Amino acid sequence: MGDIRQSLLPRDVLSAAKELLYHLDIYICNMVQSGRQPPQVDSKTLDLIEEFILHTPKDRNTPRMSALQELQLLEIMCSCFQEQSRDTVRQLMFSALFNLQGNQADESRMALLSKLVSMAVAVGRVPILECAATWLQRTHRLYCVRLAQVLVDDYCSMVPGSGPTLHNIHSASPRFCCQFIAAVTTLYDLTSEELTPPMELLQMIVSWIQDDPRLVLITFLNSPLSGSQPISSLDVTPLGGLIRWCIKAPLAYRRNKKQANDGSSDGELDAARLFSALHLSVLQVFMLLPNILNEKGLFGRLALLQMESVAALTSDLSRLLDQADKHTHAATSDTHAAPQLALDRLAQALQVAMASGALLCSRGTSDLLQLVLSGPVIPHAAHSPIPAHPTLPPHTPHTPLAAHPAPHAQYPAQPFMTGMPFPFRPGH
Amino acid sequence: MSVVFDGSPLKAMQSSHSHTAPAALSAQELSQEIKSFISGVDAVQGRKLGVREHARCAVRLLRSVPACRGAVLEHLRGVYDEHVSTFLHNLETEGNASSGSASNLEDIIQEVHGVLSEFIRLNPRAWAPLVSTWAVDLLGQLSSKHAGRRVAPHSSSLNELLQLWMSCAATRSLMEAYSQCLAAMLAWCPDACVDALLDTSVKHSPHFDWVVAHIGSAFPGTIISRVLACGLKDFCSHGAKDQGPLVEKGNRVPKIGSVVGILGHLAAHHSDSIRKELLRMFQESLAPSTPLSPSSSSTSWEASPQLRRAAVPFLLQLAAMSPNLFGAVSSELVELLRPAVLLQLQALLQGLPREELDNMLGLAVHLISQSPTGGARVLRFLADTATPASVIISGPTPSPHEGVREGCDRLLQMLLLHLHKLVFNRSEGSEVSPFCSTSSQPQRVIPFLEELRSHVAPLCAETLRLERKRHLWLHQLLCLLSVYGGPSVATETLCQLLTQARNPEELALAWQLHATLSSCMAGLVPAAVTHCVAQIHTHTLGRRQLRQLLLNLAAVLQSQDEEKKAAAAGAQSSMAAQIGSAVSVHLHDFGPLLLHGDPAVSHAAVRLLSCSPLPRTASPAHLLLLSRAAVTHFFLALRRRGEAEKAGQDAGQSSEAVSCSVLLLTRFAAYSALTLKAILQQLVEGALHKGNAELFGGQIADMSGAPVASPSVSPDLGASLLDINCRFGTTVNFSGSVWSVFHAGVIGKGLKARTAANLLDPSEVIQNIQTLLAVIVQCCSSSSLNGSQSPSDPEEPPPINAEAAKVVAVTLVENVCPDVANGELSWPPEEHARTTVERDIHIRRCFEAHPVLFHLLQVVAAGRPALCYCSAVLRGLLATLLSHWEGSREASSTDSPWHLQASCLLVSCMGEGQLLPPVLANVHEAFAHLTPFEVRLLLLAVWEYVRGNGPLPQKFVFSSDKGMFCRDFSRDGDVSRYVAPIHSVLHKNIDRLGHLCWRFQL
Repeated sequence: MGDIRQSLLPRDVLSAAKELLYHLDIYICNMVQSGRQPPQVDSKTLDLIEEFILHTPKDRNTPRMSALQELQLLEIMCSCFQEQSRDTVRQLMFSALFNLQGNQADESRMALLSKLVSMAVAVGRVPILECAATWLQRTHRLYCVRLAQVLVDDYCSMVPGSGPTLHNIHSASPRFCCQFIAAVTTLYDLTSEELTPPMELLQMIVSWIQDDPRLVLITFLNSPLSGSQPISSLDVTPLGGLIRWCIKAPLAYRRNKKQANDGSSDGELDAARLFSALHLSVLQVFMLLPNILNEKGLFGRLALLQMESVAALTSDLSRLLDQADKHTHAATSDTHAAPQLALDRLAQALQVAMASGALLCSRGTSDLLQLVLSGPVIPHAAHSPIPAHPTLPPHTPHTPLAAHPAPHAQYPAQPFMTGMPFPFRPGH
Repeated sequence: MSVVFDGSPLKAMQSSHSHTAPAALSAQELSQEIKSFISGVDAVQGRKLGVREHARCAVRLLRSVPACRGAVLEHLRGVYDEHVSTFLHNLETEGNASSGSASNLEDIIQEVHGVLSEFIRLNPRAWAPLVSTWAVDLLGQLSSKHAGRRVAPHSSSLNELLQLWMSCAATRSLMEAYSQCLAAMLAWCPDACVDALLDTSVKHSPHFDWVVAHIGSAFPGTIISRVLACGLKDFCSHGAKDQGPLVEKGNRVPKIGSVVGILGHLAAHHSDSIRKELLRMFQESLAPSTPLSPSSSSTSWEASPQLRRAAVPFLLQLAAMSPNLFGAVSSELVELLRPAVLLQLQALLQGLPREELDNMLGLAVHLISQSPTGGARVLRFLADTATPASVIISGPTPSPHEGVREGCDRLLQMLLLHLHKLVFNRSEGSEVSPFCSTSSQPQRVIPFLEELRSHVAPLCAETLRLERKRHLWLHQLLCLLSVYGGPSVATETLCQLLTQARNPEELALAWQLHATLSSCMAGLVPAAVTHCVAQIHTHTLGRRQLRQLLLNLAAVLQSQDEEKKAAAAGAQSSMAAQIGSAVSVHLHDFGPLLLHGDPAVSHAAVRLLSCSPLPRTASPAHLLLLSRAAVTHFFLALRRRGEAEKAGQDAGQSSEAVSCSVLLLTRFAAYSALTLKAILQQLVEGALHKGNAELFGGQIADMSGAPVASPSVSPDLGASLLDINCRFGTTVNFSGSVWSVFHAGVIGKGLKARTAANLLDPSEVIQNIQTLLAVIVQCCSSSSLNGSQSPSDPEEPPPINAEAAKVVAVTLVENVCPDVANGELSWPPEEHARTTVERDIHIRRCFEAHPVLFHLLQVVAAGRPALCYCSAVLRGLLATLLSHWEGSREASSTDSPWHLQASCLLVSCMGEGQLLPPVLANVHEAFAHLTPFEVRLLLLAVWEYVRGNGPLPQKFVFSSDKGMFCRDFSRDGDVSRYVAPIHSVLHKNIDRLGHLCWRFQL
């Protein structure tokens, strides 16, 4: 494979890339047929890809592709993947092209991948989406989030009227759709205005899940049960992210509205309704879980909801409550409603999750909710939106949650290592 | 086509296109579409796509496939380019852009524009950066690419360029799109879009300038401040790089260049905003830092102390690169530099390393020297600030901090040094004399000095205030300015100094200047004097200045005299000598100033002229003019002296004026025969002139006998027949005939009244007469005519020159006795005198009116044989005296004092003039003791003698041992014949005249 470099060198950028793809196809077919295990593309080939497709500047000053040439290359790739009938070959090829190598080519790799996936969404190239779904499972969440960001930008903000195209992916490739939701919920954690999901995206996700609650479990259902989940990849299900959305939404949207005073109340109402629907859907998904887990024999053994993420969520929430408390000295009934809603949803989600076996924790000595309430929020109880327990809804579970002792010991001391640092933020 | 951005066409396009947005295409269709787009061939029908179809396809992709965005925009570049090409081609071929295929593409371009602007409107955050970069880049590319086209105007004519490009749909659309982006982006990331603009500007300059200019004028406020902020940031990072060990990479062009370019373009229409912005930057950078100021956003440069510190150097650099910007700021900057600001500035600059400070100082000096306007203000500011505070002299501004003062001091000195270098390196190789090198090579212009050329006068004035260090600086500057400006400025400066100096110390500055300049400039002094004279002629100098100038010149000349006396005149006195010779050339120009209305000026003028050397050659006209002026001034001076004494004022100045005048007349008379003659003539005429008569005790006698006009009536120049008829006796001239008509008064009104003359104080009259005589005597005796005869005895005054005396005599006769009939020298018998009675009476009245005439006669008498020429006057006077004595019935001659005195003086004069032998001349000693008849007898004897021995000059012989002419009476007939009546009278009155007998011994 390495010997074709000389023949590629004199070609123009596009035809060189085209030819390399052609050779790569043949090479991988051969590899699969020979049954070599594990099917691994050698480093020379990877170098060639980087040189002729990704145009990483090496010793020679590679001319960059023009946007038109790039589009042609994407088109060729689309056809290439489309025409390849064998899933294994396709998958191997995709990995060879786009698996991150931790070198300087990664940037252009990501750029090309983003465009390819975006294009595949537009023209409905299911095989590519499938491959991308796999890629999303295996890749560090940082990069997954970037891909999701590109898609959201492309379809939800940049090109008006292109939302339906993205909407179609749930029918085209549910796996990709599921991974996309996971990535998007990871990306938009509602900590700032930039990290609030666009309304279009929210609508899309809500309608997806309403249509088919099992969608969020697709990856979980399809993936083997091996513990071969790569470190810091996306969660198997987007459930954790969705719960976070539902719980933080009332507070986060209120804050945003406060910052931008002209925020239309319509939009806020819409969002509230959507989050409400989403919350219901998520709870419904939880209700599906016991059966599925039982079928797989995993009930009580696999925590789909990580304890750390719940802990991080509660700490976030307590911070938000604290802020809400500070900002609303003139307490009105309205200002009480949002924290109340958030706490209600937290309670419901925790209860259902625990009941459905998604959250594994034994009833221990410490009461998580109690901690939330008695955390940094409470000291000035007079102003607290939740002045006393009696006002809590009657069904508030007083079930003490036995989580891992270590985070609990740290919990009151605010600087909580959430285990979910987000060094990646869109918009930089 | 309209070039206005009002957004309405955009909106129209948006609405029209948002409706036509295609229905969502299926994935299959999209795939086909992409294929078509890539290949340029319709994927379904298999035919080739036209430009428009291809573009439409691209627009559809842009709307539906986000991943194609880059490719579509790239493709559209080609479309735009094609449109521009066609557009220009049409212009070139038909001169009409509306036809042809250009219009075909125009709708596509509008479509694209509509889509883009819709996108930008819907989601500015995502699209504005993208489209702005694309549009700017494309604009740059298009402008550069088509810059060489025939129809494209040259890049320097910005307006034409703008017009051309804005009439092209493609570029206009791009421009509008960019403006839209900019308007959207200004809210949240203004730096980014301006950065892109700057980068492109650097890349495609100067063809891109029209874009920047247009954008700038559409968003002046923001663009200007942003451009500045960008430049500052860039400058700051560059500056940091420069200081490090890394050498600046060549490929990275600093943005400051394009900042300068852009602001330069905007300066045409928005210089005001630019100035404000620059000044604001300056002020903000100095204002005490408020890190948490709520008003300034976090992105603004004010927040960063590093940037703030770099602002001043940045502004300096900016100014150094663009004269336009510098010009805009410099004028107001000085106003801003109040003491408080200066302190802030000092505080700011103290933190900088020494090297950087030096650089800045150098830059500032360079800027000042290059500043075309406001130089004078800057200079005054610097001098004011740098002048040490003093108890005695308080400047216009309160004394600044000492550190600030030192800074300014240093800056000023550097400036002078810099200018010095500039000035003296300017004319390398042609240092011989700027007078002849001015045309040889174009010299480098130094705007600062260029501007100061017109401020020479104030500069000189300020220099002459002699304030501490200030005058040293200014003097140095004046030197530089003079060298720079060449002869014209040098002479102007010198002239100003000469005019404005008020005392020797100040005048010394002029010498210092001359000493510095003389080495490199020849002919400076004559030029300066000529310049002064020109100023005198054009009346540009005020009285005080004029006076000062004359006094200063005089002072120089006097110092020259002193120098000559003190030591052998070396090079030191060359300046004074030059002034002297220059003044002497222009003597006739200074002459009229003697008669200046302001006594001070005329005094100054006489002082100057009296000590100025006389020219080697001079035209007679000038000499005559001068002599006339000098003489007139003499009488003026006498009058002023009298007035001053009368008023009890300090008469020192006026008497000094008189003595100067005397000196002037003397020296001038000694200059040549012509001047001597002219001066004497005019002196005599002047002394007898109606206006001056009273100075010498004269009374204005009305010779005609007409009634005296009352003094209140102004002299009527218009002839009135009545008036003429009243002047009986003048209308018909009877003189010379036997008729004599006298007008003694109007019948019924008695004798006509004598003039009531306002007589002067006798002592004053005496003084005046003495002065006059002194002048005349000096003129006569010092004349060059008798140059060969050195006075044998220095104790004795030099003898009166005969020729000079003759001039006096002739003038005298002309004035006293205008009637020349019977004007021969020899005398007729006494009886014939009755034929000239009228003339004789006129002569007598003259003598009555002008006592000074006797003195003049004495002078004439001393200059033998000049008195001969007065023969007619003497005869006339004697004739009237004879008739008086004949008719007198008084007991003693002393009863007619005037006639007695006149007789005595007359006879003694004639004796002095050797018209009479000593025996006869002595008779006047007896007059006072005789009766009128006896006096007449004696006078008759005198007459008889003169008739017998005519008063002819040829009877005089020059005697070399006496140095004068003498008459040998022994050659004439026997005197005894004439002495007989004397002896008879002696006998008759021997009791009283015994003691006089010896006087009449033969």
